[in-house]
Amino acid sequence: MDILVVLEDNRGSLHRMSKEAIAGAQKMGGSISALAIGVNADAMAGELSGVDLTEVITINHDLVSSYNADGYSDVVSQVIKSESPQTIVIGHSYQTRDFMPRVSAKLDIPFIPDIISMDDGIVKQVLNAKLNALVTTSADQVILSFQSATFSEEAMVTGSCLARSIEVNLDSSIVRSEAEDPFQEDAGDVDLESAELIVSIGRGIEKEENISMAFDLAKVLGAEVSASRPVVDSGWVESFRQVGSSGQTVAPKLYFSLGISGAIQHVVGIKGSKNILAINKDPDAPIFEIADYAVVGDLLDIIPKLIEALQTEKDL
Amino acid sequence: MKIAVLVKQVPGSETALPILGNHNWIDEEQVSFVMNPPDNFAIEEALLIKERTGDGEVVIVSMGPARVQKVIREGLAKGADRGIHLEEDGQIQTDPLSIAKSISSILMDENFDLVLTGLQSDDTGMGQTGVLIGEMLGMSTGTLAMETDVQDSAIRVKRELESGWFQWVKLPLPASISIQSGLNTPRYPSLRGIMGAKKKEIKVVSPSDHQTDAISQSIDKVFVPQTSKQTEMIEGNADSAVTRIIEILKSELKVL
Amino acid sequence: MIEREVLELDVLFVGAGPASLAGAVHLQRLLRESGQNASVGVLEKAGEVGAHSLSGAIVDPRALRELFPDKNDQDFPFEAEVSEEHLYYLTETRKIPFPFIPPSMNHHGCYVASLGKLTRWLGEACEKDGVDIFCGFAGTELLYDGDQVIGVRTGDRGIDKKGVQKQHFEPGADIHAKVVVLGEGTRGSLTKILLQRHNLMDERNPQVWAVGVKELWQMPAGIVQPGYVAHTMGFPLGHDIFGGAFLYGMKNDIWNLGLVVGLDYKNPGVDSHHELQNLKTHPWIRSLIEGGKMVAYGAKSLPEGGWYSIPKLSISGAMLIGDSAGFMNGQRLKGIHLAMKSGMLAAETISKALAENNFTESKLGDYEDRMKSSWIRDELWKVRNFHQGFDHGLFGGLTNAGIGLLTGGRGWGFKNRLTSEAGHLQLEKGLKKDRYKDLKFDGTYLFDKVTDVYHSATAHEEDQVPHLHVNEPDICITKCAEEYDNPCKNFCPANVFEMVPDGENQRLQINFSNCVHCKTCDIMDPYQIIDWVPPEGGDGPTWINL
Repeated sequence: MDILVVLEDNRGSLHRMSKEAIAGAQKMGGSISALAIGVNADAMAGELSGVDLTEVITINHDLVSSYNADGYSDVVSQVIKSESPQTIVIGHSYQTRDFMPRVSAKLDIPFIPDIISMDDGIVKQVLNAKLNALVTTSADQVILSFQSATFSEEAMVTGSCLARSIEVNLDSSIVRSEAEDPFQEDAGDVDLESAELIVSIGRGIEKEENISMAFDLAKVLGAEVSASRPVVDSGWVESFRQVGSSGQTVAPKLYFSLGISGAIQHVVGIKGSKNILAINKDPDAPIFEIADYAVVGDLLDIIPKLIEALQTEKDL
Repeated sequence: MKIAVLVKQVPGSETALPILGNHNWIDEEQVSFVMNPPDNFAIEEALLIKERTGDGEVVIVSMGPARVQKVIREGLAKGADRGIHLEEDGQIQTDPLSIAKSISSILMDENFDLVLTGLQSDDTGMGQTGVLIGEMLGMSTGTLAMETDVQDSAIRVKRELESGWFQWVKLPLPASISIQSGLNTPRYPSLRGIMGAKKKEIKVVSPSDHQTDAISQSIDKVFVPQTSKQTEMIEGNADSAVTRIIEILKSELKVL
Repeated sequence: MIEREVLELDVLFVGAGPASLAGAVHLQRLLRESGQNASVGVLEKAGEVGAHSLSGAIVDPRALRELFPDKNDQDFPFEAEVSEEHLYYLTETRKIPFPFIPPSMNHHGCYVASLGKLTRWLGEACEKDGVDIFCGFAGTELLYDGDQVIGVRTGDRGIDKKGVQKQHFEPGADIHAKVVVLGEGTRGSLTKILLQRHNLMDERNPQVWAVGVKELWQMPAGIVQPGYVAHTMGFPLGHDIFGGAFLYGMKNDIWNLGLVVGLDYKNPGVDSHHELQNLKTHPWIRSLIEGGKMVAYGAKSLPEGGWYSIPKLSISGAMLIGDSAGFMNGQRLKGIHLAMKSGMLAAETISKALAENNFTESKLGDYEDRMKSSWIRDELWKVRNFHQGFDHGLFGGLTNAGIGLLTGGRGWGFKNRLTSEAGHLQLEKGLKKDRYKDLKFDGTYLFDKVTDVYHSATAHEEDQVPHLHVNEPDICITKCAEEYDNPCKNFCPANVFEMVPDGENQRLQINFSNCVHCKTCDIMDPYQIIDWVPPEGGDGPTWINL
């Protein structure tokens, strides 16, 4: 096979990044198989029955019914050895970081991680995303992991594929870890760094009493709220919401900025945003140079109307 | 308890990054270097574990040109016991497999109970070295540890999973663990620590004694990310702006 | 009671600049030669040696040659020997070369250098020599036994913006030393305390200052000639503001472009950063940086008062060297060699003091005697009235300087000593003249202050008490707003001070995180209510080759 996509189980269903990885593999072209491991392997295969793949290989051995680094790295290595894919593709998730390097070392196959583009060669970010790097390999096989949202799950090409279950040999001595059940912890501070939607407040909000408008907008969008430095310095929002060179770095799917001028100290914190929608009164505001959608207007006028229109959409 | 902490010296995040003429990498002559910030947390965790278990040795390991001795000394000034410097000549190494092979060859004979690394390096950001070394030395591995709890011949780590989930995993020693940033508050070196660091041993391993020949991946060139943004200007009054925004959110970005 | 770490040293230099580092190297040599053993340490508030060092610079190699007699000029970390030099008078559009370059402004035989690079190099020499350099530690208090200085206390770490101890609070340490040598650079904060407490400026002219702001420009290959030197007067400062521009060719295709602005102007609206941007609108300057990229920005004040503004240099247990003591030749625009020499002379006194275990004022006063019979004195005496001549404007200053050349430094030809007022007292109340009406920041060649600050790579622990202490903040929104329209927002080159709307009124916003440690605010505030103290150790700019 050309490409083997290793899937991840996200509490019973296919992880979004696995679907993105499939879309990426399909874009690369060639014969593609997917690998599902664990107690939910069949369910994951079922989710892909309408996708254009050669097949989904399923493995459900006791020792890998739930994730563990020892078992997964051994199983994946066995499959790579028996199926000989030229390229192994996976989403760059926390789980991937945990076990894929083990596979790389076991099989001496280079692992190129956190890729942001495959259009013109393999590109990943380096130096805190200040620069991009073109990575090359002369090895026969390579493992690639894609950064979140590099490809889109909506771009998965439809078709059909069947599942095939295989047996693997796993000695119990291979699995040395003892894992307890996963649990959730109170978020406490908002995690802006992994937020997908962010509404961000700048000086253009003008007064403290207008802050609630931004929070209302965020609520109706299901977004987190961040702010530029002057707003935090004025004490209008908590400091953990600050985004920029002396605050958090964010990379959401949508960064919706309200009255932010776009000073360089702020912009370095949002460069990773996939889409920037900016509202500002000043047509020369630097934020418009990096925005995908630029609205030159009065946010105090626009936002209340937008909130109302969004509520209407929701109610439909 | 013998703990190795792998640290890297990386370009400071404050510096401008001039690219070399051949575009291979940045011009290291013109940048300032710092301890890779995530590694600070690994050093602190190692020192805390040593303090908690009451005995042991913390060894700072770093690979690079002569200048990396500075970050080794920083670790020593904080309380680590000795250092190992794997000398590199020539350009920066960027292949995780060969880096891991080099380091493993030197760590092997020391029989460390724990190898700790930071989350990833701020230069190449491959995020694999600790796990690669763990595999090469036959250690158990764990990543993104938000808390560690050393027991008799095992270590429990609280792994960070995505979206606010966590999981405790017990791993037998020897183990290689990558430390999540923010799990502790790195201490400052004391004045005495800085003075004492000069007297602690740093073993230097020359390139011929650790370098492996095979490079499996390399960075061919680095470049400034192209912002070929097509900015759509949304004109008109507030009402038409709102209409267009709704359309964008709904049909183009699909966030509604 | 807070428990502090106590460290005993023999000699402590405060500030790892050229004065202290040269002093430490020289001291180690003298100690070796005389068979003495002593512990020598250097305290440096920056996280790394050189990170807070900023100058033009053109270095007279004299002191380096004395310090390292076994080395050649090629061994020193210079950019290049001065290869060509120009002196221009600029109008808004033209550049008029001076018919000849006065000998004192002749930089022949000197070297273009980066102070940051030089300091790092000196730091390495120090460490090789067994001197401990403690980076990331700021000296915040002098320790006394009666009237004798017995050491320095370093700053506490881990105090939040309300002054409350955080979880990882660490008290500063007490470093006891037989001699504390203050080489803090321009307007040192411990120096300020020492000068006041012991009246060290009695019978001297008040120190007068200037601020230097500069940018480094990365040019395409082949344009910059290392060793190229140009100085200008006239535009943009005009005739009433002391100062001028400098343009030096560095290695690696870098233009080093800066402006020195005297901090004794009348117009409270003067903004040195904006003046630098204005400079770049001159067609000649603009053509030089065409196609280039601004890669670094910084600012630092300079002591311009000269010979008669040098304080008494030592008291029991403490000495002043370098810029902290005002050793700068304003006419030659050089102070680094004087700083180094002063450190070396101090080392000679200290070596003797250690041998006799005597650190009293009279023993340490030997340093001042040495200084007065050294080439520091020879050099500064000749230009002792240089800056003061400019109280009469540009042409007055040049005339004064010219006559001074002929009379060995007399002011106006016959006065041995000109006096002058402190710069901040020269600000004129109610004077409003907007010099920057037509200044537009294009973001490519001309930058707003906030963008330039970003390129100074300055960072501070956010959660701490601001290190700019405004002792009577009410004055800001009342008296100062009325009399001077808050010049702090103009004279600070880093946008630290802003007057922001506060309901119906205004309030002073201190963006301390932007601070580049130039000390202009401490110098220039008309009411002298701003006290610059060191922030947490390690905070501040991260300059590499400034």
